[in-house]
Amino acid sequence: MVATVPDPPRTDIGDAPDPDPDSSAVRAPAGGARALISGVQTPSLLRPRLRVVGGVCAGFAEHTGVPVSVVRSAALLLTLCGGAGALLYAWLWATTPARTEVADAPPSARLHPVAPAPAQPAVPGRVTEILLGIALLAAAAALLASRLGVPVPLAVVIPAIVVLAGAAMAWRQFAELRSGVAQSSPVLVRALAALVLVTVGILLFFVTSDRPDIWTVVIASATVLVAVAVVVAPWLVRLNRDLSEERAARVRESERAEIAAHLHDSVLQTLALIQQKAGPSTDVARLARAQERDLRDWLFTGSTTSAADAGAALRAFAAEIEQDFPVRFDVVTVGSVTAPLPEAIAAAAREAMLNAARHAGGDVSVYLESGEGRTELVVTDRGPGFALEDVPADRMGVRGSIAERMRRAGGAARITSGPGGRGTSVTLTISTPADETGSHAER
Amino acid sequence: MPNDDLTVVIVDDHSIFRSGLRADLDPAITVLGEAATVDDAIRIVAETRPRVALLDVHLPGGRGGGGAEVIREVARTGAETRFLALSVSDAADDVVRVIRAGARGYITKSASGREVSEAARRVADGDAVFSPRLAGFVLDAFGVVSGETAETTEELDRLSAREQEVMRLIARGFAYRDVAAELYISPKTVETHVSSVLRKLQLSSRHELTAWALERKLL
Repeated sequence: MVATVPDPPRTDIGDAPDPDPDSSAVRAPAGGARALISGVQTPSLLRPRLRVVGGVCAGFAEHTGVPVSVVRSAALLLTLCGGAGALLYAWLWATTPARTEVADAPPSARLHPVAPAPAQPAVPGRVTEILLGIALLAAAAALLASRLGVPVPLAVVIPAIVVLAGAAMAWRQFAELRSGVAQSSPVLVRALAALVLVTVGILLFFVTSDRPDIWTVVIASATVLVAVAVVVAPWLVRLNRDLSEERAARVRESERAEIAAHLHDSVLQTLALIQQKAGPSTDVARLARAQERDLRDWLFTGSTTSAADAGAALRAFAAEIEQDFPVRFDVVTVGSVTAPLPEAIAAAAREAMLNAARHAGGDVSVYLESGEGRTELVVTDRGPGFALEDVPADRMGVRGSIAERMRRAGGAARITSGPGGRGTSVTLTISTPADETGSHAER
Repeated sequence: MPNDDLTVVIVDDHSIFRSGLRADLDPAITVLGEAATVDDAIRIVAETRPRVALLDVHLPGGRGGGGAEVIREVARTGAETRFLALSVSDAADDVVRVIRAGARGYITKSASGREVSEAARRVADGDAVFSPRLAGFVLDAFGVVSGETAETTEELDRLSAREQEVMRLIARGFAYRDVAAELYISPKTVETHVSSVLRKLQLSSRHELTAWALERKLL
């Protein structure tokens, strides 16, 4: 039906007015490649967030390109034709998805190609409340009427109330099942209870009538079947919708992986080549290295590391210092590096790295090992080297910032010659709380 | 082994990288050929039989297995070429993939021509080449930080105390000779330890290693 009508392919992407300014605005920060991919699609049948009733007319208008006023008038006209419009509206409302995570997620949530999309919170209570409200209203009206002496067909009203309550419960549990909030066993119990209620309600309706004959029985069983179908249908529709949403998510995921692979194979290779040709200490190499680092962070770190990550903190220091000095840091982290670096060691490490950049330059290794209640960080350069005694007292860099800082925090700093007696090696050690330990591969 | 007859083939899908590397390599190294795809690489390595193939981890063609596929296919032909993997990526799974397929070492593409030449020579001599980053990964994957140490030399799933020391120093950026000086052992002993770690990396069934291997359908 309407939802499956294919859109005519739109070839004039460039000058066609985008009917969905919201989605075009959020595409931009995710990068050109993404825009290229999603730009060729026409808007699919979605219900927007801004709604008059259920958002069906607006969504349909956007999908087909027909003005929304025309769609609304048509719906009203159809409604006058024996309620067909209202039925169609309800059907579309139940079957079209609301505009969800892709278009509405804040840009920050989609900065990283591998970061998972946030889940859409469900609204299980709404329909339930409406149905339960109707049931209560019906009960109240029946009571009031019987008090006033009006002959109330209780044989009709009571089953009706039971049916409504059953439908409400069924709806609630299916909504919960869909949102993944509830555990499966109580949900199942409630689903069965709801079905039993609906069945009993309908049976009551017929049993209480006075003249049971063959037709009553046939109609009763047919009605029960219809009732079951009505209760199960929303679940099936939603299940189907969930499946297609999942499929869409998978497609997005593989698109992201493809972009990452492409950048990896082209841009990163070129940046590596530039660094190799330019030599480690040149401005060009530094620029290329900074770009490589940025790209790498964007490509790979989204869901796996946080800003508080010790390795990330060290790499950030390295990037910062490489901007100002002809130096290349090689940061290697081992152990539980997902916890943030203790502040004392972070500050001392930064100072040691800065010293290495200032006095040695070239290749500098930074090695972090954390685990077993102990964190060790070694900064090794291949410069001229220095001994602590030779450093004048007014040069506070080593004495104050590194050694003194570590001592105050209960750790220690040791300064020795670098590999092969050349350069300088600064070793910082500190005890860390036991709960931050344990081996953990970085990626 | 004499170094003057060191022959190599350069396998990379970027021609600019191939020619750049070719120009930067030690003049004593003879480049027998270049290849850009998995299929070309297998063919050219089989034809020219170099002592070392400098192999990009990511390669088009073949069955999509990249560098690892080249190594396995060449090994099947019985050629004695050794492989040194070159990669822009230092992602653990990429590196582990080629190492487990049989590469004798791994080095990043930003390494200078001198560093690549030295690594190629070491690989040709049957030694292993570990970058600091790979050493760090090995320390992680073999549970060194949580105190796991091999009791016997035959154990594949853990590192011996000496191997751990060697790996730690390499991770800190020490060259082999510096490692030797630091630990008061001969450079040859360092190389023995590194080769032993490489063997464990290739053969171990440790969960951290097999997880990636299984994910990439290597086993």
